[in-house]
Amino acid sequence: MARSVVSGSLESSDCLITLTEAGETSVQVDTIVHEAFQRHLESLIRETLKQSGVKNIKVHCQDQGALDYTIKARLEAALARYEENDDG
Amino acid sequence: MARSYLFIPANVPRMLQNADVFEADALIFDLEDAVSSHEKDEARALLARFLDEHRPEGVELYVRVNSDDDLEKDLRTIAPYDVNIVLPKARSAAIGNLTTLFKRLKRRFRVLALIETPKAFFELDVIAEDKMVDGLILGAVDLLNETGGTFSEDGDALLFPRNKLHYAARAADIRSIDTPWPRVKEGLEHDIKRTAALGFDGKCAIHPNQVPSINEAMSPSPDALYKALRIIKKYESEQTTRFSLDGEMVDKPVIEKARKLLDKAKRYGMEVGEDG
Repeated sequence: MARSVVSGSLESSDCLITLTEAGETSVQVDTIVHEAFQRHLESLIRETLKQSGVKNIKVHCQDQGALDYTIKARLEAALARYEENDDG
Repeated sequence: MARSYLFIPANVPRMLQNADVFEADALIFDLEDAVSSHEKDEARALLARFLDEHRPEGVELYVRVNSDDDLEKDLRTIAPYDVNIVLPKARSAAIGNLTTLFKRLKRRFRVLALIETPKAFFELDVIAEDKMVDGLILGAVDLLNETGGTFSEDGDALLFPRNKLHYAARAADIRSIDTPWPRVKEGLEHDIKRTAALGFDGKCAIHPNQVPSINEAMSPSPDALYKALRIIKKYESEQTTRFSLDGEMVDKPVIEKARKLLDKAKRYGMEVGEDG
């Protein structure tokens, strides 16, 4: 079964990040705010992922109007949990 | 010096990013009781990013750290930031252990000691005199859980701990900070008046709606300030420590009290005018 972790919540101004092990890296953003912001969030997530060095992962971000610092923090916490769960 | 200390759960973005609009003099970002054990890691990550990018200005900042195995992780997380700590379940030994931790982290935090166990009351003088400690906070809910007392509007169960803590703080010349009132509004005004009457420097809040009432009650009233100003002016003009004002005798302790009141008003940014 693929490794999967979550971080954050679906409360207002927060986001729920789900990371799942995958054959290649992909980012899916569902946001309650404007579509234009979706591209910004995707770019923010890809940049944070790049800095972490983690690859082959599917990121699903369910955004409830989170600011950038929240998106980055939730993703960082999820990545740390993902790394901790590495049984290989 | 702060009058109101507002607890903000460190894992709730909407509270963090609005923290500076609540008009509290001090904010306490809570990594302890407000965060469940499985959320501690994400709360630390969120708080660090928040302090990086949205650090509130013009307000004192504290972090209530955990007192158990998470303490070092908490301190490491906040070490880069200009914040100080609230140490829960403070005992003299725990405060002593901080010295070692601070050395390891190469970072010294100032400490507000949260006094919430009966045993801590029997070493309050040692805690208050520690050079790292800037103030004592009464944590009544946990304390009463141990003593069996009731958190009631008459405040009887808290009379001893409140007085003991305040006296220990005063003797060590550090801050005395009262426990938060557990309900948002009902009974709050009565409780705050008691806090102010006992002489506390500040009071904690668990809801933003409690802050304005605390700030008002913990500030000197305009009438009291006007009277204090007149006492000091008369003292300065007559150069004696014993005189009469409005039919009341004024002596050295009264003059000292008036001076402290004026100093307090200045610290809170209050205007002290001639016209009351």
